[in-house]
Amino acid sequence: MRIFSTMIYREMKRFMRSRARVLGSLINPIIWLVLFGKGWAGAFNFPGASMIFGGVDYMTYLVPGIVAMTVFNMSFIQGITIIWDKQFGFIKEILVAPASRGEAILGRITGGAIMVMIQGVIILALSFLIASGLKLSGVLPALALSFLVGLAVAGMGVAIAMRMSSMEGFQMIMTMIMLPMTFLSGAFYPVKTMPEWMQWLAKVNPLTYAVDGSRYYLAGVAPTFSLTTDWLVLAGLAALFMGIAVIEFRRATID
Amino acid sequence: MTYAIEVENLVKKYGDFTAVKGISFKVRNGEIFAFLGPNGAGKTTTVHVLTTLLKPNAGTATVAGHDVVREPMEVRRKIGIVFQDPSTDRELTAYENMYIHGRIYGYSGNELREKIEMMLKFVELWEFKDRPVKFFSGGMQRRLEIARSLLHEPEILFLDEPTIGLDPQTRAHIWEYIRAMKEEHSMTIFLTTHYMDEAEQLADRIAIMDYGKIIAEGTADDLKKLVGNDVIYVRMEEPEEGIKCLNAEFIRGCRIMPDGRVRLDVQNASEAMPKLFELAQKNGLRILEVTYHRPTLNDVFLHLTGREIRDEGGEQKVARMIMRARMRR
Ligand SMILES: Nc1ncnc2c1ncn2[C@@H]1O[C@H](COP(=O)(O)OP(=O)(O)OP(=O)(O)O)[C@@H](O)[C@H]1O
Ligand SMILES: [Mg+2]
Repeated sequence: MRIFSTMIYREMKRFMRSRARVLGSLINPIIWLVLFGKGWAGAFNFPGASMIFGGVDYMTYLVPGIVAMTVFNMSFIQGITIIWDKQFGFIKEILVAPASRGEAILGRITGGAIMVMIQGVIILALSFLIASGLKLSGVLPALALSFLVGLAVAGMGVAIAMRMSSMEGFQMIMTMIMLPMTFLSGAFYPVKTMPEWMQWLAKVNPLTYAVDGSRYYLAGVAPTFSLTTDWLVLAGLAALFMGIAVIEFRRATID
Repeated sequence: MTYAIEVENLVKKYGDFTAVKGISFKVRNGEIFAFLGPNGAGKTTTVHVLTTLLKPNAGTATVAGHDVVREPMEVRRKIGIVFQDPSTDRELTAYENMYIHGRIYGYSGNELREKIEMMLKFVELWEFKDRPVKFFSGGMQRRLEIARSLLHEPEILFLDEPTIGLDPQTRAHIWEYIRAMKEEHSMTIFLTTHYMDEAEQLADRIAIMDYGKIIAEGTADDLKKLVGNDVIYVRMEEPEEGIKCLNAEFIRGCRIMPDGRVRLDVQNASEAMPKLFELAQKNGLRILEVTYHRPTLNDVFLHLTGREIRDEGGEQKVARMIMRARMRR
């Protein structure tokens, strides 16, 4: 477990050293919450509007979606920054060490997911200030779901990054998958009222299950799927992507 | 005699390209062994195979008594390495880089703290320990990497071009550390370089590598004996028909250098010099400049391959271009 905890320590140090970047990355979700959220909250203020959103006001409905979206984005970036480690040679330092490579990469991913959770906590704390219907009791389970998202997505980021040699393709991948996945996750509007083909896409989108589960815990909205499904899908994906990352990292050569 | 490193018929390919073409050598315990060769010779590839980062396609390599393919973990426990390219974590401080390395190698607590302090003091970086590495100069980064590679007290240390791109003072400084390590810790050091002076200054034995093969091996003196004579460089006023090689019984070999000088191999430079002037006068050649020296490792390389190993600095290249331009006129 030594290299596992050491890699987490390293992520922590890097996280603290990049405070400016971390704060900067919170601007985006805050804009969604305040400008997008408050804007629509005003429009959805007519009688019966809360019926659309599972019985809660729009702000409360939106928060779990924004948290999931933030966690998703941050985790992907976390995972993919392993490209820097490759470029700046830190990977070689790991590969030549008398320690388990699998453990090292799991530590890297877990460390990344923990740092993402910290950002998730900050967003949640801010959300409690502007959304009235959130449940404090839902924070822990929602964070646990976010953690699974973090593990899965950081694992996916690592798996992708190990196959790329530069940061160039990265921006493209980001915009190519981030935006549609967010819209298809039910973060902004219910999955149930989407056109059928969109619902179908939403169901294969892992982010949907994170939004669904944490919306139940934080806002008390009845889940679209069962909670068991939400947990199983996310845990399964976390295990899958971490497994792929481990296999790829074990095979990694330096050229 | 036991050996720190034993390599036999080692082959490493990248796709169709064979970077290391069946090399064999042995490194004795406690010696500094240098791989000297030009860019692309296969030095780094060999280091990466020996440090278990690449798998060889054929042949065997034993490091500290363990086969690099069958027992990579055992090998990794016993080696330290400074890679050719930087491999520190630029965002982190010198201390944090050392700390992470120490933890990975199983140290912790006070023992680790003391070791870090000792090593950072050894490379004179202790006062900069809390500065992020991205603010370090090239020489400081290199020193940090050396300190890091030594932290876990490896039996065998690999240094891949330890002073590449550094200024002369810093290079001399790093040489001091390397000598100190060998003497104080009786460590075996495997070094690659394309600087002849570095190999000559540091190494007990040198293997000259070119195009994936070892073309000569021995002490610097052994290698120089291969040339077997002194070397004279003559610059002459260019005659109508162009510069030609000189011919006489006292000249054992003659080559025209890219910069227009003529390089002569003679048994004894001091005796050959008067004969040379006589010869020039007889042929109506005007000598502008004569230099001579005992053979260097560069001459050895030239003797063996017909090319120079020298890493041409920008200045030298410009000077040569000017020369050529002049010659054309
Ligand atoms: N990953 C790789 N894929 C394909 N070819 C490679 C790879 N790495 C090195 N080579 C080739 O193998 C040969 C040997 O390279 P190597 O890096 O071992 O040389 P070197 O002696 O260390 O040279 P240098 O002084 O430039 O560091 C070179 O021709 C190089 O282009
Ligand atoms: Mg090299």
